[in-house]
Parts: sequence; structure tokens; C-alpha cells
Amino acid sequence: MTNRVGIVEVAMTPGAETKEYFLDQVFKISKEVLDKAGVARDDVGTVISASSDVFHGGMSCANSYYWDAGAAFLKNGSRQDGESLFAFIYAVMRILSGNYDTALVLGVCKGSENPDDDVLTHFFTDPFYQRQVGLNETIAAALQKREYMDRFGITEEQCAGVVVKNLKNALGNPYAHVKKKVSLDDVFASKVFMDPLKEIECAPKSEGIIAMVLAKEELAKKLTDKPVWFKGYGSSIDGFYLGDRDLLEGELPNAAKRAYDAAGIKDPRKEIDVAELCEPYAFQEMLWCEDLGFCERGEGGKLLESGATGVNGDIPVNPSGGVLAMNPYVSRGLYRLAEGFLQVRGQAGERQLDKEVNTALAHSTHGFAGQCHAVAIIGS
Amino acid sequence: MGRPVAIIGSGQTHHGRRFDVTYPELIKEAVDAVFENTGISPDDIEGVVSGTMPSMMEGVALTHFYFAEVLRSVGKPIMKTETCGSTGISLAFTGYYWVASGMADLVLVVGSEKMNEGDSQATMTTVLEPFYQRSFIAGAPGVFSMQSQEWSVKFGIPEEKVRAAATRLSVDHHNDAFDNPYAHIKKKLTEDEVNNARIITYPVRLWDVCPNSDGACAMIFASEEMAKKLGLTPAWVRGVGYSGEEYWFGDSEKAIWQCAIDAAKQAYGMAGITNPRKDLDVAEVYNPFTFQELLYYECFGFCDFGQACDLTLKGVFSRDGELPCDPSGGTLCTNPIGATGLNRVAEAALQVTGQAGDHQIPGAKLSLAHAMGGVDQYNGVMILGSEK
Repeated sequence: MTNRVGIVEVAMTPGAETKEYFLDQVFKISKEVLDKAGVARDDVGTVISASSDVFHGGMSCANSYYWDAGAAFLKNGSRQDGESLFAFIYAVMRILSGNYDTALVLGVCKGSENPDDDVLTHFFTDPFYQRQVGLNETIAAALQKREYMDRFGITEEQCAGVVVKNLKNALGNPYAHVKKKVSLDDVFASKVFMDPLKEIECAPKSEGIIAMVLAKEELAKKLTDKPVWFKGYGSSIDGFYLGDRDLLEGELPNAAKRAYDAAGIKDPRKEIDVAELCEPYAFQEMLWCEDLGFCERGEGGKLLESGATGVNGDIPVNPSGGVLAMNPYVSRGLYRLAEGFLQVRGQAGERQLDKEVNTALAHSTHGFAGQCHAVAIIGS
Repeated sequence: MGRPVAIIGSGQTHHGRRFDVTYPELIKEAVDAVFENTGISPDDIEGVVSGTMPSMMEGVALTHFYFAEVLRSVGKPIMKTETCGSTGISLAFTGYYWVASGMADLVLVVGSEKMNEGDSQATMTTVLEPFYQRSFIAGAPGVFSMQSQEWSVKFGIPEEKVRAAATRLSVDHHNDAFDNPYAHIKKKLTEDEVNNARIITYPVRLWDVCPNSDGACAMIFASEEMAKKLGLTPAWVRGVGYSGEEYWFGDSEKAIWQCAIDAAKQAYGMAGITNPRKDLDVAEVYNPFTFQELLYYECFGFCDFGQACDLTLKGVFSRDGELPCDPSGGTLCTNPIGATGLNRVAEAALQVTGQAGDHQIPGAKLSLAHAMGGVDQYNGVMILGSEK
């Protein structure tokens, strides 16, 4: 790639639900990131946001509402629906095209004004077959977990281990929503929510308004001493009907391969210093680790048990606490990327990894049992 | 500006009340058509861009999930673009930037809507927040009738003249639609019928308003090398422009409409257009309401402010005029919202590649496509040319 794109700054709200006014939050975060980056609103080239009509307090055309609050007044911009890593890559594309020098990327999701996520994910169903049976993302995940346990012998202890690890990591993250120390016993004591998923194995519903400033190479270097560079990206979508899919052989390997090829990564386990994965259901972290090539198929549980994915392991996964600790549905991908950015910069505070972090992976998924995946690689 | 990007083919469905197909089947019709028209295999597509209006329209959210198979996107990179009424043209921009960035050489872009499965005006009312605006805006016509009133009062255009010009557009476009095999409403109307049609929201009358259509549009964007390799006649993307303004309707002027002016200015700047009426050969202006089409002629610099009615009545913008606008019948005759903006781009591409059939403007080399959305909030303009 001749022309590089750098992430200059990031600003984000914590995940806890607030009574703060939606538009004030969007305005504050947009202003904060521009102030931190030293970019005047007039100098922002383009604004790309991510939001979703269903995750938007009952309002349609989500970006209409926050367009001007989000610094886009009389600017060229666009929106990606449902997935904030899509917005990130669209902003990268716009800069790579040469049409823009800078871009503001926004992820907007105010969970406190929404019904439960599963009321909304139910609307992903088609009206004829799936809707009648009440399918939603948690039911799909429960089916996926059962299959994962049956086929590869993944245990409840291993699934609980992900919860314990990630919620412990979240204690050091000022942006995390769920902050409590939990033991394996606590996880086992948690109520079964959607068999075999227990309540604590499922992500909460959070607020998350996040903004990033991107710039082309020369400008990024001018704006900051520590730009974090875009290295690679890949996405892939699976078929719609659960029964047509193998829920354990999904599209994440495809998305990852595209990102790795673009970033020149051959041995992900060795070359990636930190991975932030989207695991709205605890077991998914282990499955995604397999898909990303951190271990062999079916070995995700053992990988966790080995401590490799812990903060002191060789491939730390979700030092932020991940989505289990904070789940603003649409923005969660950008939150993963933001954590990777802070880790590469050495600005992750008390959760900064005790090693040099040069390359970070951010993953996001949306849809039933990971129907759609996106992977971004960034580095120093 | 990045590397050159070409549109190398499109496929549209027949539009109308398509109770004969499901929503995915409707999309399949457009996607199959673009592959048939271009001879490209779905396997060669490197990325898919999908988009619709908000989920309230048909009651399915994040529709790229539901459409994954019919978009031929399974196993492929995907993006989901949505910007309200301007979704169609925003989809085209996403395809353009994907190729212009160098990240893909062949991208499929698909917009769709099956409006007859829902209540479009109820849906559009939910674009407005529940506290202030929602309670007094009656769907889209409420917004646009206020805009047309603001415009005619600001420029002191007599009501009869505005009516006469709007009627001229309505009669012409509904007649033009007969030559467009994909159009929804095709009707021979008399001036009297239009003038005396029932009022929707004053001064907007029935034949000033677009229909609810079911339809989809698919299009393939390609890099220069790919377009050459495939040997298809390209429509080159010469300029892109988009601008959005504030959410609160009433905070700014909508007669001298800044985001429309800016969108056109950006696109003209890239395309090197200085005198749009002279330089452009044909324009596909997004005209869900006749009054708005008039206002766009002015914002896009086709004529001075306050002049659109006079020039329309002189025939400057009709099929055989100086700058033919909406020879396809436009949005006024066919409006499947998530596809409508993309239909404008498809029509503009057909014109500059000489493939527009019975509604071809002879010798068209440079065309404009446009779409609008939000609470009178967004405008997007794309310029296409037969030359790079």
C-alpha cells in the first residue's frame, strides 16, 4: 500500500447507561476527539458513522438525528448500518481514494433508550419462517454453544473461564460497563438464561458513543507523534438460515485471511500482540480464537486454560474486558479497535500490557451465531 | 481524485406493486439481471454493498443478513450503507470509493425496497424524534409542501405559475415513463386532471407525488483495468458530491438549499463542469415531488434562482429541450426508496453508454444523477461520462 492511513485520536463514552441526552453525548465525543487531534471541525474532510435503525430509540434513518451533532453539518458523509468496523473501513477507503485527507468515524448506540437487545435482534428474522419461532441472537448463540460443546468437548468450566478472565480485565477499564469481580463459582451460580447459556455468559446492553480521527500518512504524522497505522481489513458474510450453516465453520476464517493477507501476517499467533474480539457470548471468544488461527480447530478451550489469552499470555485476548463487560451493539467493533489503538500507543492505563505492543487485531461480529464478521489490523 | 472508476452494468426490476414475489426474490431479479447484462460471474465479485430504507419499512432489520444469498454475497466482503432517502446514491458512492481506494476491482452494489409490504408514510414519520417534530409532520409530503411554499414565497413566484410548471413536469414525466420498461406509473394525463387532482398537502396534489413502489437495482463498479479486461462499455464516474445539514427542520433555509448547492458544487468541481446547463447532456434529478424538481434546477445551477418555472414552461428541461431532465420518468413515476437513488445512477449510466433504449437522449456524453434524503437534509450528486 503506497498511501497509508493513520488513526490519530479516539474519544469514547463509558458503557454504563446514563440519562444524558443523546445529541449532547454525540456532540461532546465528536468535539473531544477533534480537540484532542487538534483538527478544527472545518478541516474535517468527511464523516462516516455507524448506527442502526433498530438500535436507535425507535427512530428511523438513525443518522439524520445526530448528523449535525456529530460534526457533519454541510459535510460529505455517509453511514454504515449495524456494524461500526464497516464505518471505519469506509473512512479508510475514502482517504485511500485520495479524495479526503481526514475522516471522522463515529459509532453511535445508546442502549439505555432501547429495549433489550434480543427484542431488536429478533427483527433480523425473516417474516415467514424464523419470526414465528421467536429466533433472536441469544437463541442462535445457545444453539451454537451446544454444538461447540457436543462436537469439540468444550466444557462449562472453559466457558466460565472466559467470563472470569474478561470481567477481571474490565476492572481496570474506565470505559467498561460491567465491573465486578467474579469467580468460577459465581458463574456456575448464575441463572440459566437460554440453555446452555447462563445469564453472566451473555453480554449486557450498554451505551457507547465513540469517535475516531483518521488521516492520510503525512498529515497523521503532523497531527501526532504516535499515529497507529491501518494495516489490513477483511469481512465476510455467511448465509441467512441457521439450518443451512455449520455454526462452527463460519465466515471468520475468510474475513481473517483477507485482513492477514493485506497486513502481510503469516503467523497470527506470533505476529499479533493483542486481540480484541467481539464475544457477546462467552464461548464465542474461544471459537473466534480458533477461527483467527490462534490455535487449531477445537482447541479454543485449551488455549484459554493455558493462560495464553490472559493479559500475561503470548496472545492476550480482550484486555479491555471485551463485549462481555460492555456491549453497545453497533459501536462495539470500534471499541475493540480503540482498545487496540490505546495498547499500541502504550496509553491503555492500568490495563496496558506488560510487553511491547506493535500489532493489534480488532474483531467484530453481528448477526445470528456470527453471520457477519469484520477484522481490522492496526500497528505502530 | 483516486484512480478511475467505471460503472460497467446495471440491472433493474420491473417496478410496481410486486405481490408476485417475496422481498428476496425481488432482489434476485435485479442481481440476476446485472449478471446477465454484463456476462460477469458472481464468483468474480470482490465485494458487495447492500442498502435499503430503515427497518420499519418492511419490518426486517439489518437486511443484509436476510438477503445474503440473493445478493450472492455469501463468503464475500460486505458493506451496508443507509442514509434514508439518499440511500441509493450513497450506495453508489460506497461502490465508487471501494474501487477508487484500490481495495477491490469489481464491486456489486444493490439497493432495494418493497414498500407495499409496509406503511411508508408511517415509517417516514418515525424519522422525526418523538418530542417535537413527530407530532406535527405528516410523513414526507408535510415536509415537502412547506419547502415548496417557502421557495415560491421567497422568490415571489405567482401560485398559478408554480402550478403550471409543476403540472407540465407531471404530465411530461408520466408520459416519459411509457418509454422506460422498468417504470411503475405510466399515465397519459391532461393538465386539467393534474390541476384538479385531490390535494395531498397543499399545494401538493396527487399527481405531484411519487408512488410507493417495490423494486431493486443492482450495479457493478469496476477499476479501469477490470473494465478494459471485461470489454464492457463503461460509464465513468467523473464526480461525486454529498452534503448533509441539520436535523431540526426549520433551523435553516430550504429554498436556497445549501446542501443541494454544495453537493452539486463538489461533483462539478471534480468533473470540471462550469456551466451545468450547457455541459450536461441529461440529468436524473430525484423528484419525488414536482415542486422539488423545480427547486433543484435552481440549486444545481441549471438556471438562476426564481427562474425554474419560466424555463420549464418554455421546455428547456423536457425530452427535446436544452437539458433533458428525468427522461426515465424519474422518481415521480417510480419510487422504491432504497433503490431509487441507485436507479437514478443506473439511468444516468445507461444514457452515457447509449443503452437507454426508447428514452435515450441522442448523443448523451455527460449525465447527472441525484438523490435526496433525511428531513430535507441530504443531497448527493454523481456525474457520469462516456469519457474518463
